[in-house]
Amino acid sequence: MKKFIVLLILCCASSQVWPEEATLQNIKVDTDLPAIERGMDDLMNNCHACHSLKYISYLDLLKLGIDKKKVDFMRGDQPLAAPLTGMLSDEAAMQMFGLVPPDLSLMTKAREGGPSYVYSYLLGYYNTPDGVTHNRIFPATKMPDPLGISTATDPAKREELKKTAHDIVSFLAWASDPHSAERHRLGYYVIGYLLFLTALLYAVKNRIWAGLKKH
Amino acid sequence: MKNRVIGWIDQRFPLSSFVKHDLTEYPTPRNLSYWWNFGFLAGFVLVLQVATGIFLAMHYRADASLSFDSVQHIMRDVNYGWLLRFMHATGASAFFMVIYIHMARTLYYGSYRAPRELMWWTGQGLLLMLMATAFMGYLLPWGQMSYWGATVITNLFKVTPYFGDQIVTWLRGDYSVSDATLTRFFSLHYLLPFLIIGGVVVHLVALHTVKSSNPSGIDLAARDNIPFHPYFTSKDLFGLGIFLIVYCIFVFFFPNMLMDPANFIPANPMQTPAEIVPEWYFLPFYAILRSVPNMVGGVVAMGLSVMMFAFMPFLDRSRIPGGASNRPMVKLGFYLFIINMLVLGYVGAHPVSERTLLIGHIATIFYFGSFFLIPFISKAEERWLIKRGLSPELKELMEREAREKTQSQARRRSGDTK
Ligand code: HEC
Repeated sequence: MKKFIVLLILCCASSQVWPEEATLQNIKVDTDLPAIERGMDDLMNNCHACHSLKYISYLDLLKLGIDKKKVDFMRGDQPLAAPLTGMLSDEAAMQMFGLVPPDLSLMTKAREGGPSYVYSYLLGYYNTPDGVTHNRIFPATKMPDPLGISTATDPAKREELKKTAHDIVSFLAWASDPHSAERHRLGYYVIGYLLFLTALLYAVKNRIWAGLKKH
Repeated sequence: MKNRVIGWIDQRFPLSSFVKHDLTEYPTPRNLSYWWNFGFLAGFVLVLQVATGIFLAMHYRADASLSFDSVQHIMRDVNYGWLLRFMHATGASAFFMVIYIHMARTLYYGSYRAPRELMWWTGQGLLLMLMATAFMGYLLPWGQMSYWGATVITNLFKVTPYFGDQIVTWLRGDYSVSDATLTRFFSLHYLLPFLIIGGVVVHLVALHTVKSSNPSGIDLAARDNIPFHPYFTSKDLFGLGIFLIVYCIFVFFFPNMLMDPANFIPANPMQTPAEIVPEWYFLPFYAILRSVPNMVGGVVAMGLSVMMFAFMPFLDRSRIPGGASNRPMVKLGFYLFIINMLVLGYVGAHPVSERTLLIGHIATIFYFGSFFLIPFISKAEERWLIKRGLSPELKELMEREAREKTQSQARRRSGDTK
């Protein structure tokens, strides 16, 4: 038995010994509309050429609170209900990369680490001395450095790119779960109501059981 | 008017007497603790799962090319679809949590012992059906983990002698997990909860025959019983409030916590995920599967590990009534068993390495060992406790039981069947 306990303690103590993947930069996404809108703009400029967001339609952008004129400008002659499909055809993508770039609608949920993963991945590009670009989070990635972080040496420029990446990830986090703000808002009411109800039920229960003890 | 309607019904159907016998005046031990709430909570979650499931099924498409999209349609476009889905997905975990606590309470207080063996065995059947339902439900979103989880688990049936391959194909409806698998899993996932409801009715009829056990482990005299209503209706409703608070915190604030990232990627038969991990409620059993080096042995061990509980009424041979409250060894064994379950869960959640393998072996041996040792421990404990001296209450009860036993034997010998 003692051995067993020692073993238990050992396995708790040594968790760090496990081979870790490249460490992620942990971030907290922004949930305010200006940040999400900036992220949308950056994504449209930097990522939409290759990636689709097929579960997000122009109507969703309207519902999010983006200006109607802007949405109309973005969609051109497409209907409001049209999804944000990528601009790159699958065939062209296959030719360029040997695979189709993944849809980004659920990206911040589809990777271990979520938003922090995407953020670290976007900023994970660097150049080796002999001029080859690598990514420290996803070494074998076929995506070319989309933000140009690998060639940015000016600290101010790097800060700006970090902010861009942060905004893009905030937009993607919204896109993966558009109802999360509504869910949280409703959640506070529901929990508040339940606390009140449960307190009442406790009082009722005590009242009923108090009658029992007298006998 | 109301009385006349009820009177009319009562002449044709035992409505009033049923309500009186099984609800309002159903005798319940007054000393039941909050651990006795979990049976009611399990029933509540069952209803919740059926209700949310029926509405989800109105929008869900069981079709390999549409399932993933239809779940996103529910999450994004259906009015409060996200709420239905998160309630249902979180509800599955809540169901297992409640059932595992319900089982732990039964083990702790020895509630599986005579005369409640049939309750325990119907409960075991319900557990198996719950596991099957959850397993099939997990395929429906048609994500990577859905697909590969179903592939790994259906593949286990390969170990069936002679017909292994045929059985796997028969279960899947195809040579691999495919559209045919998805449609049959959906069909069965809709059917099984109704069989579970039937099983619950049997479970409750048995309960109302033998009545609830209680923390003392001694069947109390009639004066210690109180009517179910209003005492336990009020107590159960308060427990329900607490449960709902915890449940809603998960539904509204952490609904993705128990979802695997790989399941946000549509199923891809050409690409195995880095790691195939089942849902948390299967982890201990999955760890046992992986701890046995040989596949046949692993599958048998896993099946047995779930079924071991059914042997409890035979394994526990003590004449001391009740469970942990009267029996220190049972108490110690219970806590060690729970810790071991957590260790197995940890092993099941982590990739196979030398260390997890070693811990897995030890924990698996300990798991089965703790069942096999119960007959000996319970006997030794009985001798020790008797030598140490029992409380007068316990003694009286044991003597009464022994008397009744000899009387019934004498009756049987003399040919009296009553
Ligand atoms: C030139 C085309 C192109 C552009 C522009 C582009 N990507 Fe990619 N992206 C790809 C390709 C190709 C892959 C597939 C990489 C792989 O699996 O090797 C990919 C993969 C990804 C992945 C998934 C990585 C993983 O773990 O599988 C993310 C996240 C991503 N891109 C985000 C972005 C974001 C955000 C932008 C805009 C800042 C962007 N991409 C711009 C081509 C592009």
